[in-house]
Amino acid sequence: MSAETAKDYTTKELMAAFIANDLEDGLGILVGANLPVPRAGVLLAHLTHGPNMRIIISFTRANLVNEPVLEPFEFITDWRASRWAEAYYIHSDFIDYIKRYGMNEIFFIGGLQFDRYGNSNLIGIGNDYKKLKFRGPGGVGSGDKGAHCKRYYIYTNSHSKRTFVERLDFVTAYGWGEGGRDARKKMGIPGEGPRYVITPLCIMDFEEESKRMRLKSTHPGISVQDVIDNTGFELIVPENVPTTTPPTETQIQVLRNRIDLEGILRRK
Amino acid sequence: MPQEMQRKKVVIDETEAAGWIKDGMTIIIGGFITSSHPMAILRRIIKNGVRNLTVIGSASSGLDVDLLIGAGCARKVISPYVAGEAIAPIGPFFRVAAERGEIDVWEIDESMYYCGLRAAAHLLPFMPWRGCVGTSYPEVNPDIKVFRDPINNETLLAVPAIKPDVAILHAAVADPYGNVQHVGTGFGDRAQHLAADKTIVQVEKIVPNEEIRKEPAKTSIVGADALVRAPYGAHPYSSPGFYIEDLEHLKEYVTAANVYAKSGDRGPFDAYLEKYIFGPKDHMEYLERTGIRRLFSLYEY
Repeated sequence: MSAETAKDYTTKELMAAFIANDLEDGLGILVGANLPVPRAGVLLAHLTHGPNMRIIISFTRANLVNEPVLEPFEFITDWRASRWAEAYYIHSDFIDYIKRYGMNEIFFIGGLQFDRYGNSNLIGIGNDYKKLKFRGPGGVGSGDKGAHCKRYYIYTNSHSKRTFVERLDFVTAYGWGEGGRDARKKMGIPGEGPRYVITPLCIMDFEEESKRMRLKSTHPGISVQDVIDNTGFELIVPENVPTTTPPTETQIQVLRNRIDLEGILRRK
Repeated sequence: MPQEMQRKKVVIDETEAAGWIKDGMTIIIGGFITSSHPMAILRRIIKNGVRNLTVIGSASSGLDVDLLIGAGCARKVISPYVAGEAIAPIGPFFRVAAERGEIDVWEIDESMYYCGLRAAAHLLPFMPWRGCVGTSYPEVNPDIKVFRDPINNETLLAVPAIKPDVAILHAAVADPYGNVQHVGTGFGDRAQHLAADKTIVQVEKIVPNEEIRKEPAKTSIVGADALVRAPYGAHPYSSPGFYIEDLEHLKEYVTAANVYAKSGDRGPFDAYLEKYIFGPKDHMEYLERTGIRRLFSLYEY
């Protein structure tokens, strides 16, 4: 085991390590099936420094610290996770879980579009709701979780001018609204809101006063200009933008030997 | 013992159960994305040519709802999500029908979905909710009202009651008297049952009442109005404790649906409907067409 920087890693492994480094012990976290990088990041935190995390996996609550290998599931309903269950997560009761569980949980929110204040859209693309140019899957639970969780992360596999846009066609999850550090408080929305935006190009955060999206670090091989060229609004770009911290040798070993044996994060 | 003193058994077959569903009704469907949808009954509803349904999917609906849209049964869809995770990021028929205005979508988030069902179960007109304040939901769904609460004067959403005529669910077992037990969590099935006027549950097995009384805490639904014995009845979706989803079948569906969505050619999808829904005379014949080898290959461990 080694805290030394890994010599060989992929961007997805780097993103997973970034997520893991930001998750403190004791959190509750839902692990989905269809987002392999957040899944790996959460489990990496759990196995390296989060023995008291409560992992919500396939509608159960589990602690997986002593499990040697965590096979991925293709679907979120995969009942084979029941062998780890300490409790059931009854889906229709999730609106009752907010005070004691939800507000100590973190969440990942995706979208068809994001704006500079971290609001997101899963409904569709087009000016007229009745005649959408592109109908999305729907907001799922992202709007509620955006309000009723400790904090959340925006995660996307697509960083382009089509996804990071000047103005959303619809808002399904409220981030920082029209901006300002008191935006959520004024609306009575609990939860700390979006903390970081994680993309294949970079990590972004939100400037403390305006809550405008700000470049925090670029991934190896990606320039600041690459990010600007692929973002449809004006990002805050600090004078010095570091490279995203690479994973450690230990993190790569845990990822490859316990979390991602199939190598999903190693595929291009 | 006089006839009227015998406890009533509520077991019927899927043909009779599907007959409860008439044009224009509001149905709510159990399960979650790729698990536990009452497909034996849904296939029969499609075969019956029922039209203009308001279809309330599960809180995350799967391609079961997409199939009802593709088969022309749905006029309105109430759901926070219609898709199939990695195999279909957006339901192909849901997408096309919504873009063309062929279906109305009653847009909600998962939290509002359960608020609406709770309001119905509580016999209330609405339930207040805070999640999604500040979003577009009240604009795209004018039935959801932004209001100031009379206690603290906070801005909240009023989510109207969602009132299904019939809940159609799939579970593990039931006794003949309507005591149902799920394997696993049952997703949102309990809330769907509690909001509906009537509940039909198809189960993998009908078991004796003694089996239910071994573990009464497991009884998830009390007093189902009708039960249907439907082994492998959730196929091609999974049924916790019994079988996993049939990926090959789901891909066959998605491929056919995508041909229509991309080119307008309904040929492959019509062939799918003929093969699995219009052709087989009942659920047993559907299983025969699917084949024992395929069905028995769908084991969990």
